[in-house]
Amino acid sequence: MKDVTSRATRRQPERARDRHWRGREIAQGICRSAVLTGLLGVIPAVGLAVGFFGSQDTLSWSSKLTAPLAVRGLAAFGEEALALWWVVVAVVATFVLLGRPLSQAARRLAQRWTGVQIEAGYRPVPPLTRLATGFWWNGYAYLKSEGEARRQASLYSRTSDPQARRDALWLLVASVTVLPVAALSLAGLTGGICVAIMPGLLGWGLIMIAAGLVLSPAGWRVFGYIAPRFLGPDPRSRLDQRVDELESIRADLTQTQATELERIERGLHDGAQARLVALGLSMGTAEELIDKNPAAAKEVLATARASATVALDELRSLVRGINPPVLAERGVVDAIRALALDAPVDVTVTSSVPARPERPIEAALYFTVAELITNAAKHARASQVTVHLGYDSDTLTAIVTDDGIGGATNARGSGLSGIERRMAALGGRLDMESPSGGPTLITVTVPCVLS
Amino acid sequence: MRVVVAEDLFLLRDGLVRLLQAHGHDVVAAVDTGPAALSALIGEQPDVAIVDVRLPPTFSDEGLQAALAARREVPGLPVLILSQHVEQLYARELLADGQGGIGYQLKDRVLDAGQFLDAVERVAAGGTALDPQVVSKLLGRLSRADPLAVLTERERSVLALMAEGLSNTAIASRLYLSEGAISKYTTTIFAKLALAPGEDTNRRVRAVLAYLDAGHDSP
Repeated sequence: MKDVTSRATRRQPERARDRHWRGREIAQGICRSAVLTGLLGVIPAVGLAVGFFGSQDTLSWSSKLTAPLAVRGLAAFGEEALALWWVVVAVVATFVLLGRPLSQAARRLAQRWTGVQIEAGYRPVPPLTRLATGFWWNGYAYLKSEGEARRQASLYSRTSDPQARRDALWLLVASVTVLPVAALSLAGLTGGICVAIMPGLLGWGLIMIAAGLVLSPAGWRVFGYIAPRFLGPDPRSRLDQRVDELESIRADLTQTQATELERIERGLHDGAQARLVALGLSMGTAEELIDKNPAAAKEVLATARASATVALDELRSLVRGINPPVLAERGVVDAIRALALDAPVDVTVTSSVPARPERPIEAALYFTVAELITNAAKHARASQVTVHLGYDSDTLTAIVTDDGIGGATNARGSGLSGIERRMAALGGRLDMESPSGGPTLITVTVPCVLS
Repeated sequence: MRVVVAEDLFLLRDGLVRLLQAHGHDVVAAVDTGPAALSALIGEQPDVAIVDVRLPPTFSDEGLQAALAARREVPGLPVLILSQHVEQLYARELLADGQGGIGYQLKDRVLDAGQFLDAVERVAAGGTALDPQVVSKLLGRLSRADPLAVLTERERSVLALMAEGLSNTAIASRLYLSEGAISKYTTTIFAKLALAPGEDTNRRVRAVLAYLDAGHDSP
């Protein structure tokens, strides 16, 4: 018995909250429908207005005409065609002026209402350049006047941008789908009020108002379905963007590769190669000395041996920079463990990677983690670093945290932006959290397949 | 001594065999792959084995794995690992079983025949022969930890040679000091590191390494 009453009392406030919520939803629906109607109604309203007043005006020209029916019909047809032409001009002009702001507003609304972020791929307006002849080049044409060149460039970018064409499609689709649905509930409400104040029609009016209220929470939702499908970037401009990205990645890779080769060449040329020359010379000297002065020959040979040891040391450190031996022998997890043991700070390594990743990914991840540990020790002045390696749904993840001073940046030209670009080349990414004062948390993810 | 050699480079393998034979050792098997090394180690149970870390067919750490596997079968089987590079990680894995009879040296050390043979004999006797590079890495890492900060420069160099596996006599000759002075240093080191003093070289090294290992908690 006690249980039942307690449950009943518990349900009471829930219901109240429910009602309150329903009320909020209706109010919200009405507001959003109104905003959408306003936003999407601009161009159709301009078209309708021009069409209505235009045909009124043109029809009045021949209204006093007294001629055979066929001639009058032809004249009326011509007048209507002219009015239609005006409508087209008006709609296109409005679109050129307002198309982009209206679409951008719709994108912002989609983000605010549904949380879906819709990227727009507008091409930037090309910069103006003055040629030696004094003419201005705006990316499309040579013009004498600077202002004219600027105006033309802006007009051209508004009309010929693939995204602008897509915006036109969006406005067209939305005005036959989103607009009528959103307008319907508003029409029900306003129409109902108008009808209700007419004598004798109060009942009908109330029914219309009720229908409008019931419809209103759902009225704007069509927008949620249509917007992401038509407001997104044009597939072509997305491809253009990707091509740009890949081009810059390729340029980076070529540059890195050239620098690496140069470093290796210099290392071999100044190090091992020079030592081998010296070794050869010492051997020759020893050969000459061996009969005349065996003691001196012995001394020369001892120096030669020492020189061979140094050459081996140099080769070893060079090899370590190209392909660290533990990485080749054991894979990335043990290589990072070995790195941790040699690091100047305390590094704890944990891993849940079940097998060896693909070799190029392995090497990239190894050098990335090595750089992050060096950063933590050198720039963040950390004393404790943890590295966690994980693998989940075809993605390899390395999470590097340190207790340093934070404030790391991936601004252009920084070491982190270099890592970011190298990871991007492999389809991976770098995310960081590094508030000033620390701690720093850097996550590197890269798609890969395990062997 | 009966010796097994596992090395894939023909010139180096041949050189090692000649060197060992010239010094009166009996090379019972000279192999060039990981699986062959494992079966020779377990089959022959030599007095000491000299094994390259990287061996065919995979050219990963097959030699090291073969040595570790053989020592699981035959605890304390003396193995001297040779490599082009030395890693703390591998050194710790080799020493982990605490059985002694472990050597881990750079291939360059073969150039100095005397020291190399000395290392081989130390390992065969159940001692350790760690490459100075590994030792300096092990100690270098710990230099910032508190306990070693209390050691003087001289004590640190004695500790390093101890970790390489040298006896007091050998350390004395290396540092141009009297054996008495060295034993005084070792006593101080043990006291400062709070280790119980011991006679056996191998036990000293293991104790020192175990102590270093306890200094941190990664792998």
